[in-house]
Amino acid sequence: MIPLNIRIGFFLALRALRRASLWTTSLIVFVMVLTFLNLVVISGILVGLLQGAVDAVRTEYTSDVIISSLSDKNYIENSPSIIAIVQSLPGVAGMTARYSEMAELEANYQTRRASDKPDIANAQIIGIDPLEENAVTGIANDIVEGEFLEPGDYDKIVLGNYLLAQYIPIATPGLATLENVGIGSKIRIRVGDVTREVTVKGILKSKVDEIALRAFMVDAQFRSMIGRNDGNVDEISVKIAKDADPKSVRDALVLRGVAQNAKVQTFEDAQPQAFKDIINTFNMLGSMFSSIGLVVASITIFIVIFVNALTRRKFIGILKGIGINGRAVEISYVFQSIFYAVIGSALGLVLVYVLLVPYFAAHPINFPFSDGILVAPLGQTFFRVGLLIAATVIAGYIPAWMIIRRNTLDSILGRN
Amino acid sequence: MIETHNLIKTFKSGDVQTPVLKGIDFKARDGEWVAIMGRSGAGKSTFLYQMSLLDDPTDGKIIIDGHDTHTMSADEKMHFRLVKFGFVFQDYALLPELTALENVALPLLMRGHAKKEVYRVSAQAMKQAGLEHRLDNLPSQLSGGEQQRVSIVRAVAHKPKILFADEPTANLDNESARRIMSIFTELHKAGQTIIMVTHEEEYAKLAERIIHLDDGKIV
Repeated sequence: MIPLNIRIGFFLALRALRRASLWTTSLIVFVMVLTFLNLVVISGILVGLLQGAVDAVRTEYTSDVIISSLSDKNYIENSPSIIAIVQSLPGVAGMTARYSEMAELEANYQTRRASDKPDIANAQIIGIDPLEENAVTGIANDIVEGEFLEPGDYDKIVLGNYLLAQYIPIATPGLATLENVGIGSKIRIRVGDVTREVTVKGILKSKVDEIALRAFMVDAQFRSMIGRNDGNVDEISVKIAKDADPKSVRDALVLRGVAQNAKVQTFEDAQPQAFKDIINTFNMLGSMFSSIGLVVASITIFIVIFVNALTRRKFIGILKGIGINGRAVEISYVFQSIFYAVIGSALGLVLVYVLLVPYFAAHPINFPFSDGILVAPLGQTFFRVGLLIAATVIAGYIPAWMIIRRNTLDSILGRN
Repeated sequence: MIETHNLIKTFKSGDVQTPVLKGIDFKARDGEWVAIMGRSGAGKSTFLYQMSLLDDPTDGKIIIDGHDTHTMSADEKMHFRLVKFGFVFQDYALLPELTALENVALPLLMRGHAKKEVYRVSAQAMKQAGLEHRLDNLPSQLSGGEQQRVSIVRAVAHKPKILFADEPTANLDNESARRIMSIFTELHKAGQTIIMVTHEEEYAKLAERIIHLDDGKIV
């Protein structure tokens, strides 16, 4: 059985809300919606700004699990057996192995005069199986000019956008780029002692440095250029099935001894510590902004309820005068506050999950280093809804309590 | 029965003390209708508020049905007002967001009665007051006389021991005022104890007994 004061409080709140001015109610609900958005969206965008970068690195480079060479080795030893282990693991949906070597790229060697400065950029050239690479990372979708590599391509190269001057809007000191290079341009690459002239087949545009600052060739040719005929590679990105857990795949690989010859990391492990620190800082900043929003919402509700209770002081006095328990009146204000918070949050939830999250997923915010999305995990959002309701309840209760505790007769007669 | 002994009420504002009631001894037996008269500022309403436990006296005793109210807590007084008293205020004091029926029902609901029964009893009481066509109207949709009748129905629906009325006709036209007084007369005939403050001789004469207050004392 619901206690009497709660029943009467609900009775009074329901009538007060039902017969309140539509404009006033709408305005309060509007403020609550804005507060909710402030709580969820500001921090969501801040985190999403980095999450966009994290997602992009995962999609285009590391995939779910990345196996790379140990810090004191030039490549992954025993790569063929590691690849065999990866392929035998349940939950693995695909993998791509990459050869990697530092190279010098030169563009104007055909046209420059003796007095001209050579047009040189240093970059890592990555040897890939185009089909496997694209199946795992989908980087062919990043092609903005020309075409992606095909398995039979020979003396063809695809360049990341940061290697080309026309894709760098502002001169960046320390970043050497190639001038006047486009599709069909011939460039000379020098890997160790081997020099070859290759044709630019495509240009990849990405905000992931591991794509934008690299050049790609077909592995069959690149392997012979670097003299790696033992099948040992530098990186293996592993894509796992949707229902599989990257950590379990990592652990399974470690369990099978892969860690003896290579570094095995999930996409999260592979994030640089500085990146994780920035995410934590942004999370903290988001929480700070949210806290300010929460205080603003609490003060708004406090003022609304205080003004409401103050203007209704006479009627509160009458209620007490005719024997209605003050506690029931306080509860009625708490219910009203809950109503505003719940309706505001519900509308906010609809706005966030029906409108904003899909919108930002489809149209990410174009930050220089990432495509910012709106990150709003359900659990966190509902926690914030809970916080908002709790803050609102307190903010609604205090002014009601302040007015209700005043002398009954003074309230009825409007005396101070 | 309600009685007061040496009832004193003094208002304080800073260092200034204003004595309003200066030791009133009063007794009203069950079923009696007492009209309290006096010029403005004589302390009529203050006296009513003390007796009805809406305010605390500075000194003296109020005894209702043998209960010394001086020893009661605020919650006990509130419960006492809910169960034993009915109130009719000069400005009707209806709650604006409740319908006429809900205004009448509220004190009964607070007493813990079943909702269905409360609404049945309230509607019946409204019907007896000739307000059956106004059940779902808000106070703002009623005339002054109708509002005061709703206020009386609210005050007596739970069959209170004492009905306190503070100038119940002050804001009404003559016809409405006479109608209100006829309701009071009917209630009194039915055995209702009524303590009524009024400054209108014509209506005071309807009461069984008239007391005059002057300068905080019964004269």
